[in-house]
Amino acid sequence: MSAWSAMVIVLVVAVMTYVMRAGVIVALAERQIPVPVERALRYVGPSVLAALAINLAAGGEGGPHLDIAEALALIAAGCVAVWRRNLIWTLLAGMTTLWVLSALI
Amino acid sequence: MSVSVGSMRAKIDRRAVADSIPLFLPAIPFGFVLGLAVTESEMPVAIGWSTSPLIFGGAAQLAVLTLAGTASIWAVIVAGLVINTRHVMYSAALAPVFQRQPTWMRWFGPFLLIDQVFALAMLHSDRPPAEFRRYYLTCGLFFYINWQWATALGMVVGPIIPESWQLGFAPPVMFVGLVLIGINKAPQGVAAIVGGTVGLVTAGLQDRLGILVGAVAGVIAGVAAELRAERLTAAAAAVDAVTDPGAAR
Repeated sequence: MSAWSAMVIVLVVAVMTYVMRAGVIVALAERQIPVPVERALRYVGPSVLAALAINLAAGGEGGPHLDIAEALALIAAGCVAVWRRNLIWTLLAGMTTLWVLSALI
Repeated sequence: MSVSVGSMRAKIDRRAVADSIPLFLPAIPFGFVLGLAVTESEMPVAIGWSTSPLIFGGAAQLAVLTLAGTASIWAVIVAGLVINTRHVMYSAALAPVFQRQPTWMRWFGPFLLIDQVFALAMLHSDRPPAEFRRYYLTCGLFFYINWQWATALGMVVGPIIPESWQLGFAPPVMFVGLVLIGINKAPQGVAAIVGGTVGLVTAGLQDRLGILVGAVAGVIAGVAAELRAERLTAAAAAVDAVTDPGAAR
């Protein structure tokens, strides 16, 4: 990737992120976000993060691919995330499962 | 010099620092993974790191860094932006509070508006404007400054870690954690399951389009689940009112 493309990505995402954070506060202070829009926004987080996690794990060139060790690592991480509600334990559980299984298989 | 340091200290809200520390500690390993992602990314290292001071939002940074080079630049930009749309919600929720703030604060404050700062600011939104400003800026700058060294540290340590640790797999693991820890209502769970499943089916699509398709499917499913839950509660309340008129009151 060229430095130029990288800079375009970073700058556009940075500026637009600021616009999303500041937009309503700076420009629309008096107005309310329409209820249906607010309702939809509530589900953007869980939806996009789930799709992103799967896509990063399984996507890429050569079509969808996820080996058993990787799939089980994600499942272990998911269980620990629900159980402990803690990102550090989640990361440790997922990576340890991956290490152990890829050493065994 | 000592005068300015003294006045700086007077401007720091100690309570804000004390509130921020427990929220920042879990962000340290995240910053670390992000630093690793900078060194692994197709982006030049300096530009990759600049996401920390410029974008200042871990999930979007991680997405942009790991996707760079695997999809067209517009696909990478869209993925980063969709993740950050939740900030519109934060902005809307805090808008009434910021109306009582001076113009410079209305322009600068939102730059620091990350998930943790939003959560803390909401808890203190009814404080007098000057006090709120001090609290908000202390939290925001605390996270901003510490985020920079946490990601830089990951960049320093990253290249030393052997390939066999497979740390390239850490970002999806982090995202799985972020999704599940953030879910506290059933419709959000529905959104995540549908988003993830559709994302898996479409993982082979060109240009990482599966992320967007999964996200749209998840949002539709979440909204549908919420509307259905509301109808069921309304129906149950109606049944209660009919069978036991006293309960409706």
